Order: sequence, then C-alpha cells, then structure tokens
Amino acid sequence: MKSVVSSLKERRSRSTSLERNNYKWVYLFLLPTLVVFVMFYAAPIIQVFLTSFTTWNGFTDPVFSGLQNYVNLVNSRGFLLAMQNLLYWSLLATFVHVGFGVLVAFVLFQKPHGWKLARAVFMIPNVISAAAWAMIYRFFFNNDFGVLNAVIRFVIPDFTVQWFYESPWAFWAVAFTWMFYAVIVTLVVLGDLMNIPAELAEAARIDGASGWRLIRDIQLPLCRSSIGTSVIVSVTARIAMYEQIALTTAGGPGNDTMSLSIMLVNGIMDYRYGYANAIGVVMFIIGLVVLALINRAFRMDESDL
Amino acid sequence: MSNISRRSFVGASAAVAAAVAAGLAGCNNPSGGGDDTQSSGGVVEITIPSYKTGENVGAVFFEPQVERFNEKYADKYHITLESVPQDGFNDRLKQLAQQKQLPVLVQGGDIDWQTNIAFPQGLAYDISGWLNEHPEVKDLVLDDALAYCTNDDGTIYSMPLPTVRPTGYYWNTALWDPWVDLSTLSMDELLAEIGDQKIAFSTAENGWVCGLFLTALVAAEEGGADWLRGGVEEKIVDFNQSAFISAVTTLQQLLQNNAASNSVGATYADAENAFLSSQAAIISNGPWMSSSLADTNSENWSNGFDGANVHAALWPGQMGIANTSSLGEWWISAAASDAEKQLAEDFLAFVYSPEEIEAFLLAEGGDAPKLTYTDSFKEEQAKTQTLADLSADTTAETEFVPCILDMIPASVANSDFGRELPQLANGTYTPEQFAQALTEAAKEASLT
Repeated sequence: MKSVVSSLKERRSRSTSLERNNYKWVYLFLLPTLVVFVMFYAAPIIQVFLTSFTTWNGFTDPVFSGLQNYVNLVNSRGFLLAMQNLLYWSLLATFVHVGFGVLVAFVLFQKPHGWKLARAVFMIPNVISAAAWAMIYRFFFNNDFGVLNAVIRFVIPDFTVQWFYESPWAFWAVAFTWMFYAVIVTLVVLGDLMNIPAELAEAARIDGASGWRLIRDIQLPLCRSSIGTSVIVSVTARIAMYEQIALTTAGGPGNDTMSLSIMLVNGIMDYRYGYANAIGVVMFIIGLVVLALINRAFRMDESDL
Repeated sequence: MSNISRRSFVGASAAVAAAVAAGLAGCNNPSGGGDDTQSSGGVVEITIPSYKTGENVGAVFFEPQVERFNEKYADKYHITLESVPQDGFNDRLKQLAQQKQLPVLVQGGDIDWQTNIAFPQGLAYDISGWLNEHPEVKDLVLDDALAYCTNDDGTIYSMPLPTVRPTGYYWNTALWDPWVDLSTLSMDELLAEIGDQKIAFSTAENGWVCGLFLTALVAAEEGGADWLRGGVEEKIVDFNQSAFISAVTTLQQLLQNNAASNSVGATYADAENAFLSSQAAIISNGPWMSSSLADTNSENWSNGFDGANVHAALWPGQMGIANTSSLGEWWISAAASDAEKQLAEDFLAFVYSPEEIEAFLLAEGGDAPKLTYTDSFKEEQAKTQTLADLSADTTAETEFVPCILDMIPASVANSDFGRELPQLANGTYTPEQFAQALTEAAKEASLT
C-alpha cells in the first residue's frame, strides 16, 4: 500500500504547470486570512498562554513564575464557587435552556395558527444586548418597585426578597436573565426538523407510529447534531458569561454568583495580568473539554441520513 | 472566462488581497499617526485628547476654559480638544505613549501607569524649575499635593492640585431640621441627632455612598484617620482593625435601621434619586452635588423635594473626605518642543490663575485653601447654599482624610466591597466577618 505522502507527491508531479502556477495565487488569496488569523487569533492566544506563567503587571516585562498564578487561582476564595456555579449554570443551560428551545422548535414545527408571529416574537429578546437584559432584570427583580415582588405581594402583602442580593436567590435571579431566551436553539433545531425528508415521517406513520413515537424515534434522533450544537453554544456562553453577572450581582452576595470571567476582570483591575491570563487559560481549556465531551456525547461527527 | 478577462480578474483579486494584507499590517504601524502640533502663522497649535468634552459633565467648565485660553493667546497659541470617551481615556493615553505620540499636555491618566511607567521612563517633563520661577502658581498648590508630587530628587512631573473638593453630608431640612449647630457635634452625637431619619446609601457598583459614610465613621474612631492615610503609601490589606470594625458595626446598624428602602442594590444614581425624591433625609456626597440641587435640575425632583431646602456640612471634627496627597490633573510630555512646552506652561499658569480657580470653584464646587478669595467670588458662592455651607466648614483647621475606597486594592474597592455589603446589611455577616472577608480579598488582590 502506497503511503499518503508518496501518493501526494505523485499527484503533485502530475499537476500541470498551470495548476502549479495557480498555487501562488491560492497562497496569495489565503494571505489576508492568515494575517487576520495570526494577528487577531493565534498571537493573542499564544500570548495569553505564555504570560499565564509569569508575573506581569501589563506595563513592565513579564517575569517567569511557573505555576504560581494557577496555584493562586485554585487557592482563591472564589474559585471553587465559580466552578460550582459554572457546573450548575451549564446543567441549566443544557437541560432547561436548550430543552425549552427544542420544545418551542417542535411546537413551531407543527405550524399552529400564528406560528410565524410567535417565531418573530420569540426572536425579539435576541436583538436586545445581554447588558440591556441585565438592566431590565434589575428592575424586574427590584424589591421596591419590581414586577415580580409586586405580583407576589398580591398574595403575601409583607413579602420582601432582594432577589439579586440574597442567598440563595441571587444564583437563580442571574440564571433567569438568560435561561428562557433560547431562540438560537429553536432556529437551529427548527432548521434540522424542516430538513427531515417527508418520506421518513410518512413511512413511520404507515408503520403505525403515533405523534409522540414519531418525535421520540424519528425527529429527535435526527436533530441530534443541532441539539448538540445548541448545547455547545449554550454551555460555552456560560463559561464566557460576564455582563449578566457584572451588571446585576457582580458575583455577590459574597461570592454566591462568582464566575471565572468576573475573577479575570478583577485580576486586571489589580494589574495582575499574568493571573488574569491564567484564568483565561482555564476558561479556554474548560471550553475545549466541554466541546470534546459534547461532541462525543452527541456523536456530532456521525450522520444519520 | 477568456484568458484576458481571467488574467484581469486574477490580477485585480491579487491587488485587493495585497491591499487588505498591507492594510492589516499597517494597522500596527507606529508611524501611522500624525504630529499633533502645527505652526500656523507663528501660532503654535496643539491637539490634546480629553474626556471633558461633549456630553461629559466636566465639559461644561473645561471646554469654555480652553476657549478662554485660546482667546487670550489668540496670536500665540491654539489648543484643539480631541474628544475621547472617559471609559477609554486612560487606555488611549497608554496607546499614544506606546506610539511615542503623547500629546504635549497630558490630562492625567491611570495613576499606576503614571507613577510606575510614564514618569520613571522619562515620558514627562520636569516642571519643578518652572514652578520655582512662578511662585504665584506654586503658592496656590496644596502643601500635601506638592509634597506628594515632588520626587526624592526634587523633580516634579505631575502638576499638584490647587483645589480640594471635600465630601461631607447633605440633609433636607424639609425632612430633618436639627436645632443644634451640627459642626459642634461629635460623630456619636450626630448619629444620635439623626435618630431614625432615612439615609441614602448605595451598595451596587462599588458601594460608593456607603464607602463615603464608612470613611467618615472610620475617621471618627481613635486612630482611624491615620489608618486611612496610611493607604496613600501602601494599599490597606488588613481590615481586622478595631477602628474599622467599630465603624462597620455602626454602618451595619445604619443600614439596618436608617437606610432608604432602595439602598441594598442601589447604584450612586439610585441613592441620589432617593434623596432627590424625599425618600431619604441625608446623603453623603461631594460639592458636585450642588448642581443636582439647582433649580435647573428641578425636573429630577419629586415628592415635594426642593433643592433650596438642602444644607451641607463637613463631618464632625471638621473632617472632609478628600485625598490631598495625590497626583494632579496635568503633566507635560518630555518629547514636546520648546515652543510646545512654553504653550503648556502658559496653559497651566492660566488654569492656575486666581480668576480661573474661582471660576472652577463656582462651577464645580470645592475649595482652594491657599487662595484669598475676591469679594465677588464670595458673593457668587453664597448664592449656592450648599457650596457656601461646605466652604464655611473648610478652614485651616479642616482635616482631610482619603476615601477608604481609594486606599484599598482596586478589585476590593470596585467589586468585593459592594458584593459583601448586602451580607452586612442583612446580618449574614458580623462586622468581624465583613472585615475578615475584605482582608482575605485584599490579600489575594495583593499577590503578584
């Protein structure tokens, strides 16, 4: 069996002079992309990795300090709570956020009366920035004049809860700022649903599959990739989540809603760029691990059709 | 596609690709900027980036001040302001410094960057000689500020401030009209006098209004003022001090018994709103609050609030919250030409002239302890009740203490302090636990 390299060499030697001439143009056209990739993607990531092993205030030259930043991070007050919060928010993102988005997709797929309007309305929150939502929720959860407590006080007149500033409510209040805005999930899954060949559903019905069995055994499995993609997007968004926390609880009360992103920004405030970059590396690695796990769990590289 | 058209297409595409690549590469070209100084008909013209422009609150005074300078020196100098958003201003200065394109006049910048990078690396021009030659300017700057800005070798890079804007407290006499002279009271007597009156606090953002009140409470404790001042040289990282814990105990009682209903989770704007809507009788704030109490701001008043009813005072013991040991607002780039340095020095002399200082105080409040005020200034100042109140309290005997939020690591001031305050307010933390939480946070923040 010929090796891949030798077959490539053979193929290359067979290529015409016109094709060889074209390589120059191919590489030239690739140049802007490569420049952008190196300048704005590879170089910053490499710098973050390298400086995470240094003591660096952002002004003077970094000084190598080994794993000290990582040791400081693991020993810090907020780290374990930040990791715990990330785990719980990720579970909520996977099962509630994505689950709700999938549910809405399946409802819209049935094309009930007014489904197009419902889809458009469901889309509206997505054009509002996370920061604006955070501010809206600060009013919504406000103890004095917030809608939620006003409604509750109809039933319990003396009800008083500072949702963003009391344990354990702050965690849930932050979660509510994103949990049900799942239109991206809905659109991705709805696209997959609409691409399922009609013959499949027809054949299943002829074989006696009911509505629920059709969903469970045909449609849901065929949406596996889009649901997996949605889970990846949702969980990685939790890793990077900043505005929703910074503009509501800032990680409090105490460290109840602490996140790695808040710790990173706090590190920068103190000119601990090496430490902040160590947090960035941890976030990066968590993102890669999540990506690999979800890819594996949803068998994203396999096709059903 | 024919050979010719294909060749043209490929050629054009290659040119576009090359242009994009060259453009991107050019993004980082340090010589991409231009010289900010021009000379036109013998007039030295410079452009300086400033955040006190446009809608920024500081623009109300600063932009006309620059215009006054331009008019006064119409045949010699012209300054043009480049508008930079306040949020990105410090980063803009660092970027200009890296590109070796610092403006002739630099409007401050990140304090750590100035002290650790800009000044040690020789980016600033030594103004000590000029100050010595201009005693009319030097005599107006604050002693503490001059001492702080003077380096061990006698050089001075940052222009020391001539004014101080001490923070005290304001009260609405429609809600609380004490029949005693508050300036004679101790802190305990003042708190007793306040009784169950509502106080506007803020815990969100950096809990600034709480920070001001806490500073006053700490300073009123034995050794508290010195403990706070110690943070000027080295940030405070140990809060397990009796003065601090005692002050926090009082603050906790105030948060639980006197705080306006919106205090927990309130931003500075919320706290001010509580005061301007008569939901709180008292708020701690600086002289800049006088603009919120002017008739021109009456659209933001509610529940019968009237700015004319508000009085202000410094804290008991004639104590004002202000950091006089600090860098000033201006410094001059060492890379400036002689003509530009002359312009910069004349601008500083202009800004530090008695007329301009008085104009500044009337516009933004504060006090210039070493300036003898004109009668017209006193008359004008007396028209704004709270400015007159604060000015009357600011004398040679006034003690200044820095705000605690400026004396602790930045992340503790901007994040941990506000995060822990709700725990203190709802009783989850004892004062000792609050102090311990801040201590741990500050020690973490101080790790290299």
